[in-house]
Amino acid sequence: MNLALLIAIPLVFAFAVALSRPAQARLLATIGTLLPVALYIVQALGFPWLRGETDFYNTDAIDLFPSLGVRLSLNADTVSMLLIGLTVLLGPICVIGSYTAVQDRLKTYYGWLLVLQAAMTGVFAARDAVLFFVFFEFTLVPMYILISLYGSTNRKAAATKFFLYTFTGSVIMLAGLAYIAWVSATRTGEWSFDLTTLTVASSEYLSNREQAWVFGALMLGFAVKVPLFPLHTWLPLAHTEAPTAGSVILAGVLLKLGTYGMYKFVLPMCPEAALAYAPLVAVVSIIGILYAGLICWVQTDVKKLVAYSSVSHLGFCVLGLFSMTSIGLTGSLLYMINHGLSTGALFLLIGMMYERYHTRSMKELGGLAARMPVWATFMVFFVMSSVGLPGLNGFVSELYCLLGTFQAGDEWAHHPTRAGLGGPLGPWFAAVAAVGMIVGAMYLLYMVGKVVWGPLVEPHGHGAHAHGHRHSAGAPASAPSDAHAHLPADLTPREIGILLPLAALCIFLGVYPRPVLKALEGPTQQMVESLHMHTRGSLQTPWPVGAPPPPRPAHTAPAATDPHDVPANQHPADEPPAAPASGGAGAGSAQEAGH
Amino acid sequence: MLGTLAQHGTDTVGDGAAAAGAHVAHAAESIAAATPGAELMLAVPALTLLAAILCGLCAAFRVRSKLPAWLSVGCLGASFVCVLLTYLNLAGEHGAGGIVPRIAHGFEWLTFQWGRGGTGGEGRSFVADFSLYVDSLTCLWMLFVTGLATLIGLYASEYMVGDVKTAGYSRFFAAFNLFVLSMSCLVMADNLVLLYLGWEGVGLCSYLLIGYFYKKPSAVAAAKKAFIMNRIGDLGLSLGLMLTFVHFGTVQFNELWPLIQSYASGATPTPFIVQLIPVLFTVGAFGKSAQIPLYVWLPDAMEGPTPVSALIHAATMVTAGVYLVARFLPIYALSEWALPIVAWGGALTALLAATIGMAQFDIKRIMAYSTVSQLGYMFAGLGVLGSVGAASHVFTHAFFKALLFLACGAVMHGFAGQLDLRKLSGVQKMPGWRIVGLTMLVGCLNLAGFPLITAGFWSKDMILADAFSHPQFRAIGWILLITAGLTAYYTFRVYFRVFMGPKYFEPGDELHAAAHGDDHGEAHDAAGHVTHSAAPHGQHMAAEGALAAKGHAHDHGHADAHGVFHPHPPGWAINLVLTILALATFAAIPLFFIGDHHGWVGDLVHGSSSNPASAAAAHEAAMHGHGPHGGSFLGMDPHAVMYYVSAVVGIIGIGIAFVLHLAGRTTPATSRADALLPALGPIARAAQHKWYVDELYGVLFVTPLRVLSHIFHLIDKLLVDGLVNLFGWLPRGIGSFVRRSQSGVLHDYGLRMASGLAIILLIVLLGVLR
Repeated sequence: MNLALLIAIPLVFAFAVALSRPAQARLLATIGTLLPVALYIVQALGFPWLRGETDFYNTDAIDLFPSLGVRLSLNADTVSMLLIGLTVLLGPICVIGSYTAVQDRLKTYYGWLLVLQAAMTGVFAARDAVLFFVFFEFTLVPMYILISLYGSTNRKAAATKFFLYTFTGSVIMLAGLAYIAWVSATRTGEWSFDLTTLTVASSEYLSNREQAWVFGALMLGFAVKVPLFPLHTWLPLAHTEAPTAGSVILAGVLLKLGTYGMYKFVLPMCPEAALAYAPLVAVVSIIGILYAGLICWVQTDVKKLVAYSSVSHLGFCVLGLFSMTSIGLTGSLLYMINHGLSTGALFLLIGMMYERYHTRSMKELGGLAARMPVWATFMVFFVMSSVGLPGLNGFVSELYCLLGTFQAGDEWAHHPTRAGLGGPLGPWFAAVAAVGMIVGAMYLLYMVGKVVWGPLVEPHGHGAHAHGHRHSAGAPASAPSDAHAHLPADLTPREIGILLPLAALCIFLGVYPRPVLKALEGPTQQMVESLHMHTRGSLQTPWPVGAPPPPRPAHTAPAATDPHDVPANQHPADEPPAAPASGGAGAGSAQEAGH
Repeated sequence: MLGTLAQHGTDTVGDGAAAAGAHVAHAAESIAAATPGAELMLAVPALTLLAAILCGLCAAFRVRSKLPAWLSVGCLGASFVCVLLTYLNLAGEHGAGGIVPRIAHGFEWLTFQWGRGGTGGEGRSFVADFSLYVDSLTCLWMLFVTGLATLIGLYASEYMVGDVKTAGYSRFFAAFNLFVLSMSCLVMADNLVLLYLGWEGVGLCSYLLIGYFYKKPSAVAAAKKAFIMNRIGDLGLSLGLMLTFVHFGTVQFNELWPLIQSYASGATPTPFIVQLIPVLFTVGAFGKSAQIPLYVWLPDAMEGPTPVSALIHAATMVTAGVYLVARFLPIYALSEWALPIVAWGGALTALLAATIGMAQFDIKRIMAYSTVSQLGYMFAGLGVLGSVGAASHVFTHAFFKALLFLACGAVMHGFAGQLDLRKLSGVQKMPGWRIVGLTMLVGCLNLAGFPLITAGFWSKDMILADAFSHPQFRAIGWILLITAGLTAYYTFRVYFRVFMGPKYFEPGDELHAAAHGDDHGEAHDAAGHVTHSAAPHGQHMAAEGALAAKGHAHDHGHADAHGVFHPHPPGWAINLVLTILALATFAAIPLFFIGDHHGWVGDLVHGSSSNPASAAAAHEAAMHGHGPHGGSFLGMDPHAVMYYVSAVVGIIGIGIAFVLHLAGRTTPATSRADALLPALGPIARAAQHKWYVDELYGVLFVTPLRVLSHIFHLIDKLLVDGLVNLFGWLPRGIGSFVRRSQSGVLHDYGLRMASGLAIILLIVLLGVLR
C-alpha cells in the first residue's frame, strides 16, 4: 500500500493545488513532496535490502482490464526502490528550488510538478507493462507543460520536439511490448502484461529473429529517452529551455527511465539479442561519450554544456548495462543515482546563477567565486563529483561500469556457447570509453575555469537592478514581479538547504557505498544468471538475425555489417525486408520516422 | 621480501570469502592482517580529515584568525608523531630498520562480490577497502610527507598571513590538509583503487591550490592544465588497475605480490598483459611526476602559493609516481619495455628540464625545472633497478627542495612577489636575511651535489653509479652525469645572482596591490577592477570591493609614508622552518652510512616490495639472461669511482656559475654570461622559451581537438538534428495538434491527457487484438 501512497500523495496534492488559491500552491506542493520523503524513509528502513530477491514488496494488484490481463500492480525491488528514492528526494528539492524562480501561474506550475512526481514514481513501481507505459507516457505531459510555459525564449519548439521525439520512441516500444504479450497470450491462452510473464514469454518463446525485432523496438524507445547518440538532439534543446526544476527532473529522473527500461525490459526480455547487439550499443555509447563530451567543450551556454554532458555520462551508464556482468550492471545502476544527484545539483546551481544574472553565457559571466563563494564551493564540489573524483559518488559508478566492460569477456568466457568468443564487450571498449574521463575533466574544468574562477565578469548593468531584467521564468505577459532583486549575492539558506542533502549523498555514496553495493549484489547477480540461462549463443554478433547456430548463417536479409563500421547506425535491427509480425510492422515504420 | 611473504603465506588459509584461485594470496593476507601494530597509521587520515573539516568550518563560520593554521599544524604534527611511533615500534623486526608488511583495516569501501554458485563459474570478488598497507617503503614516504607537511604548514601560517582576513586562509589550510589526507591514502593504500583515490585526490588538491589565486587567469589556466595533464596520466593508471584486476583477479597488494612472483622464476613466459600493466602504470607515474611528455604542467604550477609549491610540487606529490614505480618494481622487472621506458624517460627529462632551467629568470620556475630534472634522476634510477638510490634521492630531495622553495618563497614574500633574478642581488647581505641566505646556500649545495657534506650528493651518486653499472644503460649514465654538471651550474646561477653580489632590489608587482607579499594576492584583480587610489597612508591600494579591507587590515605593508619600499624580512616561523630543514639535510648524511644495504633508506627499500635484488633476479629470469650485467665507468667499477667523478662534475658546474655570474659582476642585471648569449644564438632563446614545447602541444593536440569539437558541434546541429527535424516535419498533423494544446488552462490539459491516455490504450488494444 505504501508504494501506492507514494504515488497518490503527490496526485492528491496536485488536485489540492488545482483547487487552492495561488498563494497556497507553494506550500501545498512542498508538503506534497516532503510527505513522500518521510514515507519513503520509513519504508526504506523496513525494506529488506539484502534479501537479494528481485520481486517482493507486493502491493495488492487490482485488475484494470481483466480481459486483457492489465493490472494495477505495483511493487518495488531493490533497483526500483533506489530509483524511487532518487525521485522522491528530488521532488521537494525541485519545489523548494522554484520558490523564487517561478513567480506566476503558480497553480499550474506546482500542480504539474506534483503530477510529474507521481508519474515518475509510478514508472519505477509499475509491475505491469501497460501500467508502466501509461506512467512512462504520463511523464511527458507535465514535462511538456513545464517547458512550454516556464521555459526560456525558444521553449515552445523545445517542448514540441521533446514531446514528439520521445513519444515516437515510446510508441514503438509499446508495439514491441504488445508483440511479446501477444506471443505470450497465444502460447498460454491468457492475456497478461505482467512483467514476469512477459519476460518469460519473450526470453523463451521468441525466435531469435523475433527477439531481435523486439529488442530493436524496445531499444529505440528507451534509447531516445536516455538519450543515446544519435538520438540525443532533443535533450540539449529541452534542457536549455526548461526551467530549472524541469532540467533537474529531466536529468535526474526522466533520462533514467531509459536506462531503467533497458535494465528492466531490454536485457531480461531479449537476452539473446542484447548479447548479440551489445557491441553495437557499446560502440554507439562510446561515440556518445566522446562526441558529446567534445561538443561540451565548445559550448558557451553553461546549461547546454551540462546538458550535453548528460549524453556523455549516460554513455557510461549504457555501457555498463550492456557489459552484462554483475559489476557492470551495478555500476550502471549506481550511475543512474549518481548522475541524478550530481547533474541535478549542477542544474540547480546553474539555475541559481541564472536567477541572479539572467544569463548563462560564459561570455558574460566569469569569476563568480569572488561574488558567490558559497555557490562556487558547491559548484566545484559537484563538478568534481561529476568528473568522477574518487571519494565522491561519480567515481564508484564510473569505475564499475568500466570494470564491468573490461572484464565482460572473462565473465562470459564461462558460458558454454561463448567459449572462445568472450563476452559481449571487452578491454578495448573500456579503454576507449575511459578516454571519456579525460574529456569529462576537460569540459567541466573549462566551465569552472570560465564561470567560477578568473577575473570577475558580470553582465552589463547587473547590480543596478534598474533595467534589462528578463524574467527568469520567461513568462511573456507577467508583471515584472522582481523578486530576484531581493536575492542576495550569494546563496540563501534555502538554496544551501536544498544543495546540502545532495552533497551529503554524494559524499556518502563515494566514501561508503558498500551498503548500496551489497544491496545490488543480489539483483544484478540474478540478472546475470538469467542472462546466462537464456542465451543460447545462437544469435551471434556479426550480424545476421535469426540464423541457425554457427558457424555461418546462410540466409537472412540484412547484410553482414560489422558494428564498428556503422557506428552511426543507432538501431541494430536495420530494416529487414519483411516484418515478422504485426507489432514488428508497426515498429518498422515508426522506426523510420524516428531516424 | 617477496619470498618471505610467500613463505609466510603458506601456513594459513584465508576465510574463503574472497577470490578463488589465489590461495597463496589469501594466506598472505591473513598473515599480514593477523599482524597488528600498524593501527596507529589509521590516525593519519583521520587527523588530516579532521583538520580539513575544521578548516572548512572555519571558512563557513568566517573565522578570521590564524586558528586554521594552528589546527592544521597541530593535526599534522600529531600525524607525524603517529607515523614515527609506528615506525619506531616496528623498526628492526625485518632486517635493520625494515618492518614486516602488515595491514591496518579501515572499513569496506568498494568491495563487491558476485558469481556465487550460479552459472557464472566460481565466486569472485572485487575487494578494494579502505585499508592501509604498512611496510617500510610506506613508512619512509609517510615520515617525510607528514614531517614536511607539518613544517611547511608552520611556514605557511606566516606566509599566508596576508589572507587571514579573508576566507582564503581557511580555504588554503583546508586544501592543504586534504592534500595530506590524499597523500596518505596514496602512500598507505593496500590496494590499487585506494591508491587511485589518493592519486586523484592529490591531483584535486593540487588543482585547488594552484588555482588558489583564482582571480588570476594564469593561475586558473595553470590549475586546469595540471589537472588535465594529470588526468591523462590517471587514465593510464586506471587502465593498469583494471588490467591488473582482470588478469590477477585482485587489486590488493599483498595478494598481488605472490601472483607476480609466480612469473618471476622465468619458467613461464610473461604474458603480454602482465608486460602491459607496468607500461600503463608508467603513464600515470609520468603524469603525476611530471616526466616527458607530461611534464609541462609542473612549471606552470608555480602559480600557486610557495608553500604549496614546496610541499606538493617539489617534495611530496610529485614523488607519487616514483612511489608507484618503486612499489610495483616486481612487475616492472617482468616487463621487457617498462624499465627502459622509465629509465630513458627519466634521463631525457632530467636533461631537458635542466637545459630549460639554465635559461629561465624566474627563480621559482628554475626550481620547478630542477624538480622535474631531479624527478628524472629518480626515474632513471628506478629504470636501472636502482630503487635504493631512487628512494634515497626522493628522501633527500624532499628536504632540500622544500628548503629551496621555502627560501625562494621567503624572498618572494619579502620583496613583494619579485622573482626575477635580474632584479635581485646581494640579498644575503641585507638586514634580516642572513638565515634565508645561509639556508638557501645549504639547499643549493645539496641540489648541486656538492661533495661529502651534502645529502643530495650521496643520493645522486647512488643513481649515477647504478646507471653506469648496467652496460646497456651507459648512455643514461652519461646523460645524468652531464645533467649533474648543468644542475650545479643553474643552481648556483640563482644563488650567486640573488644572494651574492652587489646589494640591489626592485620590488615585485604586488607593491601597489598592497596586499601582503603573498604572491599575487587576492586583491590583485586582473580585469581592470584594480583602481589605484590614494589610500590613507599615501600608498597604492587595491580598492576593489570587499577585498579592499584587507589591504588596510594588514599593517606591515612594504611601503612607508613616502612610498619607499622596504623589503620585509621573514619572521620566526619562516626562519625556524628553514633552519630545521637545513639541519635535516645534514642530519640525513649519516643515514647513508648505517644499516646493511647502503644506508637506512636502503634497508627500508630492501624490506619492501621494491627490493632491488629480487627485482633484478626477476628481471634476469624474465629476460632469460639478457638482463643487465656488470658495467663499468671508463673501465672502472662505477660504484667505486662515481664519488669522485660526480664530485668533480658538481664543483666544475659551481665554478662555471661563479665565473659567469658572480666574479666581476657589478650590476644585478648583467653578468659575464650575457656576453656568451650571442654566441649561442637561437639555442639560448629556444631554451628560454622552454624549447617551445607548450606551443608544440598547442599545435599538435589542443587546436586540432578544439577544431574537431567545433566540427562535431556543427554536425550535431546540422546533420544529426537536421535529420530529426526532417522527420519531424513529416507528421505535420501531430505537430499542429500539439501546438494547439498550449492553452495553459489546467482542465484543458486534464481533458487532453485523459484523451491521450485513451488513445494510448486504444493503440494497445489494437496492437494486441490484431
